[in-house]
Amino acid sequence: MRKNSFLFLAAVGIVLVLGFLLPWMVRNPFYFFVGYVVLQYVTIATGWNILGGYAGYINFGAAGFFGSGVYLSAFLFTTLGLPLPLCILAAAIFGAILGVLTGYLTLRIQGVYFAIATLGLVVVLETIVHNISALGGASGMAVYGPRPPAWSPGPSQYNFTVMLIIAVASVALARFVEISWIGRGLRAVKASEDAAECSGVPTLRLKLLACALSGAVLAAAGAPYPFYTSYVEPVTAFSLIIGLNAIAMPLIGGTKSWSGPVLGALLLASVQQIATVTISSELNILFVGLVLIAFVAFAPGGLADLFGRKPSGGAKP
Amino acid sequence: MKTRRQFHKLAAATAASLVAPAILGNRVFAQDKPIRIGASVSLTGPLASTKNGLIGYELWRDDVNAAGGLLGRKVELVTYDDQSSAANVPAIYSKLVDVDACDVLFSPYGANLSAPVMPFIKQRDLFMVGMFGLAGNDVAKHDKFFHSGPWGPNSGRDWARGFFDLAKAQGVKKIAIINADLEFSKNAAKGGAEVAKEYGMEIVFNQSYPPNTSDFSAMIRNINAGDPDAIFIASYPADSTAIIRGVKEIGISDKVKLFGGAMIGPQYGALLSSLGPELNGLVNSHTFVPEPTMQTPAIKGFFDRYTPIAVKQGVDPLGYYIPPFYYVAGQIAAAAITGSKSVDPKKMAAFLHANAVDTIAGKIAFNEIGDWKERRVLMVQLRGIKGNDLEQFRSPGRQVILDPPSLKTGDLAAPYNKARAS
Repeated sequence: MRKNSFLFLAAVGIVLVLGFLLPWMVRNPFYFFVGYVVLQYVTIATGWNILGGYAGYINFGAAGFFGSGVYLSAFLFTTLGLPLPLCILAAAIFGAILGVLTGYLTLRIQGVYFAIATLGLVVVLETIVHNISALGGASGMAVYGPRPPAWSPGPSQYNFTVMLIIAVASVALARFVEISWIGRGLRAVKASEDAAECSGVPTLRLKLLACALSGAVLAAAGAPYPFYTSYVEPVTAFSLIIGLNAIAMPLIGGTKSWSGPVLGALLLASVQQIATVTISSELNILFVGLVLIAFVAFAPGGLADLFGRKPSGGAKP
Repeated sequence: MKTRRQFHKLAAATAASLVAPAILGNRVFAQDKPIRIGASVSLTGPLASTKNGLIGYELWRDDVNAAGGLLGRKVELVTYDDQSSAANVPAIYSKLVDVDACDVLFSPYGANLSAPVMPFIKQRDLFMVGMFGLAGNDVAKHDKFFHSGPWGPNSGRDWARGFFDLAKAQGVKKIAIINADLEFSKNAAKGGAEVAKEYGMEIVFNQSYPPNTSDFSAMIRNINAGDPDAIFIASYPADSTAIIRGVKEIGISDKVKLFGGAMIGPQYGALLSSLGPELNGLVNSHTFVPEPTMQTPAIKGFFDRYTPIAVKQGVDPLGYYIPPFYYVAGQIAAAAITGSKSVDPKKMAAFLHANAVDTIAGKIAFNEIGDWKERRVLMVQLRGIKGNDLEQFRSPGRQVILDPPSLKTGDLAAPYNKARAS
């Protein structure tokens, strides 16, 4: 375990160094625009997996958390002029609070009922934003981002590096949850909530913690988005596509470990981005759909299961 | 010595012969390289009904290339599907500029999709033609941006002013305003309320409704209770249908002189044929109708070619609202390129600021932020519609132009109930 952690930290270090160096090595900004979207989905998938993968609570409301992060960050930046790191932090805290509140209200219900309740969250939040004129309502609000600092060559590269830091931090958090007592508790909840409760696992507290962490990561993923598009409007910020991708990516990659969502997001988001600028017609949606069906049909455990080590006992959940 | 001189000559000749094709070749290459026009089009998603605009782009490209291209170079169109999502727009435009090396950009459709690209073109100082984005350049104020749509200056407030001019002429004192809770409708209603106040009209009812509302009976009763002289409606296709059906069912006061304004839907073939005679009497905004004051050989030629393609692709066979202005966008770009004899954004923009452009939609002059100097949004009244045949909308007299006065082809038939029954 200790050796693994050392390897993980070394990999994190290398990725971060690359994140700062790449903008100076690759001159074409296009790759950073695309890279941003891919990393955004790595973060979203990782955040979703903390509750959906480890605890088995399928959350359809990822877009609600993401959208709140988007709007909070846009609002704080345009009205108070807060710097981007503080906007991200505020979004994460807000996401965690929203997660706890939602969890408290909905965690009594399980399975499909929980999924529908979380879907309702997106509709409620979107309607609220539609009706607040300070947030631009349906017309949206323009956000002219800060000038990039000297260590970054341009705005798209800066957004990319910021998103990379958030993604790496999220993955590290997910890995910590997975290998710590929290993860063991959540796996017990997933296997059998009643049995876990009887064995002394504090299920409600664990689930609320998972909701808070998942909400924080999802909202943090949305915080730099206003600076990426320079403009936010409710339909895109609370888009169903975000919620669907948040589920599809971990499913493709594998929900058991932190590497699953990362792999799934890297694969699916890249395919989507490539399809947008190559196929670029009605066919690209069909193509992405086919990839999804293929994975669900032929690799139900996800990529991580397909290529990872087979469990020695061969036990199925 | 002699051999050395010979060697030098030989070396110089070799160097020259090696370098010359590279220099000349580059020159030839630059001239042969097509001029690339980049655009993002909503082929899928909620705005997919605007994809017939692409036919406008393609017809323009084919026409230009058939006439020998621009500055002796062919024109190439590079388009991507933005899936009607603003989130896809930044990456698409970076691809168009940084990878595809496009010389001219066309914006995505409408204000919400165009907003993400405005800071980008301003920062990189690029040339762009805007597609239907209401007040699209009012925040960025980029001097190399030009609208192809006829919204005119101060469009955020004024684009539907024609409706209120007509109301004022009819002596309207009390007005009701309803709108869908979506970007375009909300802005239309907000601007409308400001203009109504400016004209001293009392707003007796002002309400927005959530998108996907399908039952308007309560709202129509409430409007009737306010006893207005005119009703300004900013709606999207599904609710436009529901409102018109609701009025048919519940009825409306005989005092109402004008009904409509900013309803999206009655511009499209699908809704015109499904509602048919129920649309009689409606006063609504439009961008082009086949009335004698607008019908020119150029635009007729455009629709003669558009219709067969549209039928084949299964998109709106009439295509009056959007496609001609996509062709106009091409003509604006072409005028800028040929007029300035370059693809340098600065020179192109300077030419358009100094010169009016001839297009299939008439002569267009631009102000300093690229709005048409003159608003040319039409207020048309639908009349004499019989049955649900779509072909009747191709003949004049079905969509009579009431405003602007320069294009007027008839007077308002009022009150609404009488016009509706005719």
